[in-house]
Amino acid sequence: MTAASQLQSAPILGVNSLVKRYDNHTVVNDVSFHIEAGETYGLLGPNGAGKTTIISMVAGLIPADSGSVELMGAVMTPTSTRVKGHIGLVPQELAIYPDLTAKENLMFFGRLQGLGGKELRQRTDLVLNLIGLGDRAREQTKKFSGGMKRRLNIGIGLLHRPTLLILDEPTVGVDPQSRNSILESVETLASEGMAVLYTTHYMEEAERLCDRIAIIDQGRIQAEGTRNQLVELTGGVDRIDLRGTGSTSNAATALRQLPGVQQVDSGPSNLLLTVHNGPGLLAPIVAEAGGAGMALTSVEIVRPDLESVFLHLTGKALRD
Amino acid sequence: MGIALVEFQRFLRDRSNIFFVFIFPLLLILLLGSQFGANSGRSQVALSGGSGTALESALKVQLEEDGLQVSFAGEETVKQQLGRARIDVGIFISDDDAADYSAGQEADLEVISASQASAQAVLQEVRTSVQTVSTAQLQRSLLQEAGVSAAEATTALERAETSVVPPGLEIVDTDDVSQEFLGLGRFDLGATQQLLLFVFLSSLTGAATLINARRLGVISRVMAAPVTSWQAVAGQALGRFGIAVVQGAYIMVGTAVLFGVQWGDPWLAGLVLAFFCAVSAAAAMVIGSVMDNDSAASGVGVGLGLVLAGLGGSMVPPEFFSDTLQTVSRVTPHRWAYDAFAEIQRHEGTLTDILPQLAVLAGMAVALLTLGSILLRRSLSRAL
Repeated sequence: MTAASQLQSAPILGVNSLVKRYDNHTVVNDVSFHIEAGETYGLLGPNGAGKTTIISMVAGLIPADSGSVELMGAVMTPTSTRVKGHIGLVPQELAIYPDLTAKENLMFFGRLQGLGGKELRQRTDLVLNLIGLGDRAREQTKKFSGGMKRRLNIGIGLLHRPTLLILDEPTVGVDPQSRNSILESVETLASEGMAVLYTTHYMEEAERLCDRIAIIDQGRIQAEGTRNQLVELTGGVDRIDLRGTGSTSNAATALRQLPGVQQVDSGPSNLLLTVHNGPGLLAPIVAEAGGAGMALTSVEIVRPDLESVFLHLTGKALRD
Repeated sequence: MGIALVEFQRFLRDRSNIFFVFIFPLLLILLLGSQFGANSGRSQVALSGGSGTALESALKVQLEEDGLQVSFAGEETVKQQLGRARIDVGIFISDDDAADYSAGQEADLEVISASQASAQAVLQEVRTSVQTVSTAQLQRSLLQEAGVSAAEATTALERAETSVVPPGLEIVDTDDVSQEFLGLGRFDLGATQQLLLFVFLSSLTGAATLINARRLGVISRVMAAPVTSWQAVAGQALGRFGIAVVQGAYIMVGTAVLFGVQWGDPWLAGLVLAFFCAVSAAAAMVIGSVMDNDSAASGVGVGLGLVLAGLGGSMVPPEFFSDTLQTVSRVTPHRWAYDAFAEIQRHEGTLTDILPQLAVLAGMAVALLTLGSILLRRSLSRAL
């Protein structure tokens, strides 16, 4: 939680019971959340979970079938042009013109946001330096690397100093260095008081950046809270991955009888245990597995994380 | 306006546009005008044989004085030109004819007319010219027989020519279609047709640009800014409109300078062009909003552009259409623009005369822009 987000204030964004259907398929189902100033709010879910549709409604690109979006107290619809000026949208696609230079792209989108003259030039230069493209400003963006394009994509969203920055999977397809740079930029912006709505299917990014996270699956928010609050939903269980040779089925039967072991999933050469207090149970588990004829080659304790939470809530892995 | 400027900027960056938008249309107008265009408004007569003789010289002078365009070529060439209707009448001068004429005797010229209807009228003009030459030669011979020197006879005849108004021949074509095209230059009709065809085709390529912008996510980003869908479509359309106007103006100026095309009142012609460009650009926005594949949109654009151009009289002049086709052609913007240009070019039409055509074109543009705006908004819900 950042310092700014701890301030008591009215929500920057309020999303109330949003529903969106295409034909007979409900892609967003009764989604509600709010974001306060300086808060980074994450929508974590697999591809096709409905994250981009939610963002499209929040940004006023498509209408909701029911429910509402309020930005700084004003209702957002596709025709709410004045309200849209408070949003900086960074879409998942590289929404830039490849045959224009970085500077031309920034100035074009800046004009659409109502900037002009000296202010536009100053903001353009500032953002170019912020995203590390000051020395490449006059190059056509089709010559840029994927990471540079992603940074420009974000820079365009920042140009007009929005109250709410919406980032839709901003690190898809970028190299680790650029990814880290993007994440640092988001952290900086949030620390300066900007509200951020961040969608991702990367658990690590959500854990690192987001003050609060909503876990989305099949158009519904399955759970919402801080990282620790979400982990608590798993009941504080750890997972222990045992790998080895010998009789895994005998070992599985024996381990199921051990107090504290909730579940044992058996694979051809490994066992996946769901347990309370993994480190404390490690010694008896190893002894029991060995006694049942399984020669262990590796033992790994996996502490609960958002992946575990997602698995716990939906019964499937985040990347399925 | 920002969207329009960027579209224009991007258009200029793509060098392949230069050929298709600026060079190719003029080449086609030149080709079509040379091959199929009406003659330059003056009747074409070719002289064959008798090179350097007094008869050839006298015929050339008289034919040109009578407003005919005279060329020289060998016998076979002249016959070929007659067969292909490149000229109206061929006059074949044999050595005997030339000698008889110089001797003041009667000469029998061989004159052949081409098969097109207008050639018969030109043949009458040629007969009048030849008769005038013959009369002058007869007068000169008679004066010389009366004892006047050749120089004095020539001077006397020239003086008489200035004091007596010679008989003239005015051809009035009673055929409506022929009258409609009367006075049009070789390239005039083709230039109008190709102008409409190419401006519309080039504009429809804007559909692919719009789809590409949607695919890139740029349109989503634009719509997330404080911009209405109508403004977004109008901005894109304005960019294509600007490109179309530049292309159209270039074709008009280029054909006027290079081929002597008469466009009539330049302000009115420019106004018609502007209205037609607005319809073209708006049509591109509809295609760009309803289709999701830029390659397919380009194909549809070319196909639709050619069909509408054909129906609208940009391939065959609509004056030759049947009554039914005449009616059908009025669903195309090409036809309304064609009629407006015809009014200006051929009948010295005023703004009042072309107001109906301009009103229809304006209506088409507004309707298409509105439709494009609705479709673009809907397109945001579709994945590309």
